[in-house]
Amino acid sequence: MRYRDLIGALVLAAAFVAAAGDAAAFDESKYPNLKGQWRRVPVPGVVGQPGYDQYKIQGRTQQAPLTPEATKIFEASLADQEAGGQGGDPTYICRSPGMPRIMTVYDPMEIVITPETVHVFIEHVHDNRRIYTDGRDWPKLIEPTFAGYSIGRWTDSKGAGRYDTLAVETRGFKGPRAFDATGIPLSSDNQTVIRERIFLDPADPNILYDDITTIDHSLTRPWSVAKKYGRAQAKQPLWEETNCAEGNGHVEIGGQGYFRSADGRLMPTKKDQPAPDLRYFKQGGK
Amino acid sequence: MLARSTIGAMAVAAAMAWTAPGAFAFDDAQYPNLKGQWIGVRQNTGGGQPSFDPYKKWGTTQDAPLTPEYRALFEANLKEQAEGGQGTNATSTCLPPGMPMVMNAHSPMEIIVLPEATYIRVDHIRDTRRRIYTDGRSWPAEVPEGFDGYSIGQWIDTKGSGHYDLLEVETRGFKGPRSYDASGLPLHRDNQSVFRERIYLDAANPNLLHDDITVTDHGLTEPWTVHKTYRRNAQPQPIWIEYICGEGNRLVRIGNENYMEGADGNLMPTRKGQPAPDLSFFPSAKK
Repeated sequence: MRYRDLIGALVLAAAFVAAAGDAAAFDESKYPNLKGQWRRVPVPGVVGQPGYDQYKIQGRTQQAPLTPEATKIFEASLADQEAGGQGGDPTYICRSPGMPRIMTVYDPMEIVITPETVHVFIEHVHDNRRIYTDGRDWPKLIEPTFAGYSIGRWTDSKGAGRYDTLAVETRGFKGPRAFDATGIPLSSDNQTVIRERIFLDPADPNILYDDITTIDHSLTRPWSVAKKYGRAQAKQPLWEETNCAEGNGHVEIGGQGYFRSADGRLMPTKKDQPAPDLRYFKQGGK
Repeated sequence: MLARSTIGAMAVAAAMAWTAPGAFAFDDAQYPNLKGQWIGVRQNTGGGQPSFDPYKKWGTTQDAPLTPEYRALFEANLKEQAEGGQGTNATSTCLPPGMPMVMNAHSPMEIIVLPEATYIRVDHIRDTRRRIYTDGRSWPAEVPEGFDGYSIGQWIDTKGSGHYDLLEVETRGFKGPRSYDASGLPLHRDNQSVFRERIYLDAANPNLLHDDITVTDHGLTEPWTVHKTYRRNAQPQPIWIEYICGEGNRLVRIGNENYMEGADGNLMPTRKGQPAPDLSFFPSAKK
């Protein structure tokens, strides 16, 4: 029995040792199984485009804790959209939604775990992420991006000998970014900090949660929401390619949003919208 | 001694064993180390944008074996570009480069190797993540279409060393338009391209990666093979630049014409004598 116990212990230890060269045996069983295709779980009664809080309709019903200044920007966005414009939603001309809006998961998501990095792949506009789990410190200078710079740490919250939660912090942003398509704004100072806890449902391994807290100067307090995704059951799920520029009729000229008609001409999107200035053309438009 | 050998063998076996439902110990030592950031090696071709054959300058000097019809298309495209247009280079409107242009690595590349799939990430125009399925699957009855195509790969141990050293890939299932490089060297509009790749580390230098790509396409008179090389960035924490084509892209396409948005926000022509856009939908423009 003693000999068998020794061999058993050596076998478990072997699962964690470096096998050869400069690559270590990657024991996937240490991590939760996040493989496959994840989709946002629809909520009955919540219609329209999804919001930051997926349990509420986007826009005013989100009850975002906005500062007075951010509220004015938001109301101006809604008014512009009412008149036919795009308001504060930058994605119509294929700018990335950025964080935290990426985690709305407009299109299916794949999570690829390696020891050094968790990759989050989402089609849609430009929604991929890298979450560094290699123990690095925050760099002195972060190149700002829409997705931000994310550092994560796996934790074993139950002491089960297996990781179950990924805690992530994301900083280093550029903008403009909005919480949803109605243009609920994040601050133009881009000093957002986002904290996430990503974990499987203990009762159902095909449900994934992302508890997100956004700290931003457009808000009067941190804003926390619980995102919920379901795993597709197909063994070989279909990953449809989404290319924002393909078939996108929106055009922005001089800060004005226009639309390309089916016959390729420029159309206004708002009543009495001025035509673009053609001063650089020798002959004017028809 | 016999006990130590037995224990050693069991340890190696354990590195491959099933340890929990749905997940298993993945011995990435079986695979070549492709971690890090890969930068396309530009051979000394006299500048310009990266080319499909990196040993030749982009454009006509690629000596692409084009059919007469596609040579004529290519020449017309070059003429349009010389006059200020974009020709058949669809990426100017932020359409993805797709295969094979994505492997020109205009931006740095990352390769993620897992048992079921190898992912190739290149953030240029589109935030590409090629999925090369290595799970032994067969070609689907209907291959999904995309600019990146649908890729199935197989790892091979060419030396019998017990470690994989070569990834062979076949990619089909395309949409377009696609070109080989920014000169607009066109692939056939029927999108029936097939790509075969051999991806392997340099035998003498593990920080050089090679991709031998053979394209079969109806725009060509014969299969076209090129040899690509990438160099691993020595930085332990390389910077990954985010490339958002829609951000700061001054090119504006209206109808079949490409214009430019000037620094003052006004529309500008891109070639001599270019007509202004039709503004018949704007009542104010009719004054």
